[in-house]
Amino acid sequence: MTTNTLSNTASNSGIQAKSFLQKYGIAVFLGILTIVFVYYAITTQNYLTWFNFKTIIRDAALVGIMAIGLTFVTISGNFFLLSMKETAALCIIAFAMCMSNDYGFFLSLMAAVLVAVVSGSIQGFLIGLGGNPIVVTLGAAGILYGLAAWWSDNLVISFRRPNDAEWLGTGSVYGIPNITIAFVLIACLAEWVLRKTNFGRQVYLIGASRAAGRATGHENLMMAIKVCVIASVCCAFVAVAFSAQMSSAQANYFSSSFGSSGDFTILVIATVMVGGNSIVGGFGSTLRTSLGAIFISSIDNLMVLQGFNSGPRVLSVGLMIVFSIIIFAYIRRGSRSEG
Amino acid sequence: MSAWLELRNIKRSFGSIHALKGVDLTVDHGEVIGLVGENGAGKSTLMKIMSGFDSEFSGEILVNGEEVKLSSPAKARSLGIAIAQQELSLIPTLSVAENIFLGGDHGPVVASLSKLAALALPNLIEVGLDYISPTTLVSRLSVGERHLVEVARLIAHKPQLLILDEPTAALGEADSQRILTMVNRLRSQGKSIIYVSHRMNEVFEITTRCTVLRDGRSEATVPTAELDTKKLVALMLGRELGDMFPERKFQKELDVKFSVKNIWPDRVLAPVSFDIKAGEILGLAGQLGSGAGEILSAMAGNTPVRRGSIVETATNEEFLPKSPKQAIEHGIGYCSPDRKHDGLFLGRPIIENLTAPNIKRISSRGILSKIKESALALEIAKAFTIDVSRLEQEASVLSGGNQQKVALGKWLSINPELILIDEPTRGVDVGARAEIYAKLRELADQGAAIVIASTDLLEITHLSDRVLTFYKGAVAQELFGEEITSDRILHNITNPDPSDLKLEVAS
Repeated sequence: MTTNTLSNTASNSGIQAKSFLQKYGIAVFLGILTIVFVYYAITTQNYLTWFNFKTIIRDAALVGIMAIGLTFVTISGNFFLLSMKETAALCIIAFAMCMSNDYGFFLSLMAAVLVAVVSGSIQGFLIGLGGNPIVVTLGAAGILYGLAAWWSDNLVISFRRPNDAEWLGTGSVYGIPNITIAFVLIACLAEWVLRKTNFGRQVYLIGASRAAGRATGHENLMMAIKVCVIASVCCAFVAVAFSAQMSSAQANYFSSSFGSSGDFTILVIATVMVGGNSIVGGFGSTLRTSLGAIFISSIDNLMVLQGFNSGPRVLSVGLMIVFSIIIFAYIRRGSRSEG
Repeated sequence: MSAWLELRNIKRSFGSIHALKGVDLTVDHGEVIGLVGENGAGKSTLMKIMSGFDSEFSGEILVNGEEVKLSSPAKARSLGIAIAQQELSLIPTLSVAENIFLGGDHGPVVASLSKLAALALPNLIEVGLDYISPTTLVSRLSVGERHLVEVARLIAHKPQLLILDEPTAALGEADSQRILTMVNRLRSQGKSIIYVSHRMNEVFEITTRCTVLRDGRSEATVPTAELDTKKLVALMLGRELGDMFPERKFQKELDVKFSVKNIWPDRVLAPVSFDIKAGEILGLAGQLGSGAGEILSAMAGNTPVRRGSIVETATNEEFLPKSPKQAIEHGIGYCSPDRKHDGLFLGRPIIENLTAPNIKRISSRGILSKIKESALALEIAKAFTIDVSRLEQEASVLSGGNQQKVALGKWLSINPELILIDEPTRGVDVGARAEIYAKLRELADQGAAIVIASTDLLEITHLSDRVLTFYKGAVAQELFGEEITSDRILHNITNPDPSDLKLEVAS
């Protein structure tokens, strides 16, 4: 609908302006952005280095993994979970509580995953029954964060070093951080699941048309539960990795202290959008999401090196969401033949 | 001497695709021009150009002998050209009157609902909706009535030329008749109408001349009086079409495959029971909302049912599908009349559409097999003459006829026992129709049972081995073999004799 309105207004303003805008507008815009980016990338000290490249990917990993989980929800046509950071918050508290009580890494990880599975399936069930994803997950966000803050008394829970979780948080193989490796592995696995399995096919089909999905025997109820669990488990994994890195946890780690680009949920959604996944479902891939994560991370990293504080950086994330929606809408419209 | 509207050598291409390669068309006062052609012949593109939605074409458009630029829909409207599109643009949560005066400068700036209603009434009377209060919410109207409201809204603009794009495609016989009456009335007032329809009988009934589009060109413009079905079809296809409908054998001794027992969906007056036999095509005839479509939908687990069941003769199992999934498990495939809504995954490749009902078949241990999928899709594509080189394209790029073939063809993936089809050829061009009819007959000959519901009289009369007629949510009569005639069905579904009604009282 939006794009239709855009084109109608364009056609009213005269044929010449319309054809120029349609044919070259986006290309010119992207061209200018690329030139600006390349200019700063070359002139900024320490930006184009192997070390910084590794930093960019590592920074992309945490947001990227959560965004990969969320991509399943988005492609399946169930929109977004607005409870991503709150899910991570409850998971990180569960993990740190267990770690500080010396349950060991594996049991603590399982505790975090259990929290994610339970909260994910309840949200998925409600969405699958026809609940509005925004309302359901906003409500869930409040509940999850409330529980996390209550359980931890809003305190920092730290556990002693050395511990058996450090390999995930700070370990590396041949200089490549383990969390980066995990990101790449999860991205590949997710892409394989989406492209090559029955489940992946159903994700796309139901996302493309819920009605046609139902008519061909693919119900959204089970699908919503499954994708919400996947997204939540990704949150749990990120929470565990983050806690392992810090050897501590607090309910608000994902709201303020991480990086400084502010709200984690918005970052995750931005990543899915910048990757060019369809908001209404049926189209997209976790590969796109991963590239989106790296793209956002490269811009953010550049801004940090240029000395921008958090305000402009959050602003740039917001702008990226808006522009990616416009750009991908144009690209997709152009690729579709008319008539 | 010159016509009111004249198109000269209109051409339009999208990239390398030449949608229109030179179209000439004239319309004069008090004329109804039938614009006919197969899907993909360029009708939609031409209509977009005439209504100002598409201004990137070459050629001339003259109104009253003067060249005009149709640069926007608003411009076209100001020149007196109005178009009623297939897709409805009404807002369901507003009243009929509000919809009629929506988004135009033809209504008062400030008005109470009752004043709007009074203003809207003449337009409603014009389209034959005089029995509806203008304050009714559009959401309470049937699809057919909504189409009429759409036309009423256009008439409120007092256009000189009204373009009707398949106005009766979604309508039953009575509503269609209203549209035709309306067209005749407008013509007698000196208005011009361009009438686009796949329904031959309507084209013959109301048009004065026909312009035939084929492959982007205006092939011919012929006075309707000089045409018959054969000639028109030959012009559209560029070749003779053999018999559109496959031959029937009217076998009496067929095995009962499924027995429908006292099925009672919403909007149906009383429970309905009938047998479905292997190897026959059973037609359910009725106007829109008569209950025929509801019964198919209910049998497929698509809509809730008060009660009733289906018995499969072979296994003697009695069941009632609660969801399409359960129906599919019993080998029942269902095509709703709205393929774009739930018949197709428009944004996904054709190959995925064809295999969607049976993903298990193209995979092992949960992992898809590209080889199995291609093999299955090829098999279906060949059976339904779907272009195999296009299997990777999105279903949305296909024409209506090809989309319907995909929507139907996907059920071959489950090796169906029973195929239920509501409106098998709505919005489907002549060529694809013949192919679909032939394939349905072939499936029946192979032992599948097929039940169709249709508001297209020609189709139900010539395709079905047996017909159940529905009237106001109840079965009126069963017709077999030679008893199946258009007149008899029409009589049965519009105004049956009370003695013919075999109302089964709910027990």
